[in-house]
Amino acid sequence: MVEYRIDRRSGVATYVQIVQQTKQALRLGLLEPGDKLPTAREVVEATAINPNTVLKAYRELEREGLVEARRGLGTFVRRSLGTATPAESPLHGELDAWASKAREAGLDREDVAALFTAVLEKHFTDKHSLGDVS
Amino acid sequence: MTDTAGLALEATAVGRRFGARWKAPAWALRDCTFKLAAGRVCAVVGPNGAGKSTLLALAAGLLVPTEGTVTVLGTDPASARTRVGYVAQDKPLYPQLTVAETLRMGADLNPGRWDAATGERIVADGGLDPAARVRSLSGGQRTRVALALALAKRPELLLLDEPMADLDPLARHELMGVLMAQAAQHGTTIVMSSHVVAELEGSCDHLLLIGGGRVRLSGEIDDLLAAHVRVSGLAETSLDPHTVVEARTTGRQLTALVRPSGPLPESLRTSTPSLEELVLSYLRNPQAPGTTPAEHEKAAI
Amino acid sequence: MTALAAPAALRAPSPRLSRWLLRLHRPALYVFTGLVLVLAAALLWLWGPLTDAAAEGWRQWNACGDHPRCSYDQDAILRYKKVYDVTTLAMFLLPFLVAAWAGGALTGGELENGTAELTWTQGVTPARWLAAKLALPAALVAVGTGLLVLLHHLMWSAGEGRIDTSKSWYDTLTFAVNGPGLVGLALAGLVVGALAGLVVRRALAALGVALAAMAALWFATLSALPYLWPAVTTTGDLDSGFAVDGLHVDYGLVTSTGRHIPVPVCNGRCEDVYTKLDAVGIYNDYHPRSHFWPLHLMEAGLLLALAALLTLLAFRLLTRRTATARHREEAAV
Repeated sequence: MVEYRIDRRSGVATYVQIVQQTKQALRLGLLEPGDKLPTAREVVEATAINPNTVLKAYRELEREGLVEARRGLGTFVRRSLGTATPAESPLHGELDAWASKAREAGLDREDVAALFTAVLEKHFTDKHSLGDVS
Repeated sequence: MTDTAGLALEATAVGRRFGARWKAPAWALRDCTFKLAAGRVCAVVGPNGAGKSTLLALAAGLLVPTEGTVTVLGTDPASARTRVGYVAQDKPLYPQLTVAETLRMGADLNPGRWDAATGERIVADGGLDPAARVRSLSGGQRTRVALALALAKRPELLLLDEPMADLDPLARHELMGVLMAQAAQHGTTIVMSSHVVAELEGSCDHLLLIGGGRVRLSGEIDDLLAAHVRVSGLAETSLDPHTVVEARTTGRQLTALVRPSGPLPESLRTSTPSLEELVLSYLRNPQAPGTTPAEHEKAAI
Repeated sequence: MTALAAPAALRAPSPRLSRWLLRLHRPALYVFTGLVLVLAAALLWLWGPLTDAAAEGWRQWNACGDHPRCSYDQDAILRYKKVYDVTTLAMFLLPFLVAAWAGGALTGGELENGTAELTWTQGVTPARWLAAKLALPAALVAVGTGLLVLLHHLMWSAGEGRIDTSKSWYDTLTFAVNGPGLVGLALAGLVVGALAGLVVRRALAALGVALAAMAALWFATLSALPYLWPAVTTTGDLDSGFAVDGLHVDYGLVTSTGRHIPVPVCNGRCEDVYTKLDAVGIYNDYHPRSHFWPLHLMEAGLLLALAALLTLLAFRLLTRRTATARHREEAAV
């Protein structure tokens, strides 16, 4: 089960936050196929956000084929985001080493983040999964 | 949206005047026209004294409009009385009754509709002792009991006048959660007023901005935000033919909130306003043209 | 009152308001019941032992004749008088108490602190709310004051002719509490108070307005009372006096043509003045003892009519101020 944490000051639309956090949970293996997402009622009771926002996020996840709504039962995970990178994978190690190097080179947190984002943009522009939603 | 069946609340040219006719009458609300679809969570926002409470009291059938008509759940407010929940700003309750007695009274006053389990759950979730007298409760606890009374009658439309005022952040978050859960589970339409916009952001999907007794903005929050753009650029940039809600120049810099009526000049940097920015811009500029059906109609004439 | 609330009752099971009315106004109920019980006990005490003792005291006194050293039970006579006066005054004040409570607590207070609106947004229409608020207290007030009036009348009758200083039937306070007029005044007080609360919408102010209105109503009743039933006229010659045993309405001179004229001012030389005015006799308009019941029933009837009128006004005011289901037929289509 996932618990959503909504940051109202982040500037990221609330439903996008739910979509992202669900995907995060799928990548990290916290959610697996067959798992039930919390009901809209459960989410809004804990977060005090609008129910339609939760439904919008779930519809988006459904559109992407990640979850399916079963009438009267709830929303269930259909497939995982299998390319998840466990903490001990070689990729993690390489990134970790790179971050240490960046730090030694005198880059601060924001510099690194900007650099990383720029590289991400270059390699993943066509896969910007939420860009076409709004 | 246009059929009356799907509407929870509709006001047509509603005005409400207070004070005796022979003295200078004061209009608390004037020429107020809007529609609210069922299932929405609507924020009624405006400065103090804008007419928010009057509007809610009219919808609850506690007041009659001086002019115009209010339609609630497809009928007149009095006929909808049993299907509407209302919590007044100061959360009136009988201080001499206990929490349990208050809920029992609700059951007796709403025969055939009362959902005792809901009322008891809302009260119990707040850790309230059913045997405690209402007069001994804190502000947040009173609000909880008042909400329990309003929700246990299973309203299709819930009207809340400044429900979160005087509550600490924790109680505010908890009670907003209770309300949202109600909306999620029963599709209850919720209309709540506040003069603190930040309090409602995220919980509401519809906005009704009231200023000076009139409707300034009315619509889905996403639509309203999408229709407006925050722009900044050089002071000499012309914003014609776009509708300017608010514009300020600081030195050579121009910042403005506009409702574009076409593509904006390339030289301007644009961003999406937050709900609070949007509301504040309109409130700071009483002359800014609003977007309400009534205004459109008037403009057409 | 119930007729107005009836349409709403046809649609859904009716809300149980009376039970909560009793619960919310429990202190008032206790105070009123306590007052009625204490006064009833005092009246019973007066009716039996005190009347007998006082009558015996007067018998002893009358037996004394001119005997200089005579013993009689003066304490019994004084005790009767004191308890009688206090009880009568307390009964007379009951309608004012009812009006003050109705204005301050029943309607004014509820409108001031918003609990009226709370009830109206539960399943209760304002009209039904007011109907319950008036019906139940009206029944209690009618029963309570009715019982006291009955006991007072029995008690007063028991002393009549036996106690030399017992109050006459037309003594202002005694008359006020000795018959159904008091029930009428108390019920009018309830409605006057409730209406004051609806108009003023503040507990304390409504209490004040209710009391002022009741004082005005009482003085109006007092001045109208002699004219509520045709008076009896007696005439006599010029030497007979103006004193009558009954409620005086008017008196004056009768001329030789039979015309009734007022008594002129004459400084000790009345005979000359009378001759000048062609006065041959005097007349008295008054109500004899036999008019007690007609007067009381008329007073009660008029006060009840006023109460009904004010009730109607209260409902009109409330339904005009709040939304009422005017479009029920339209909505049903």
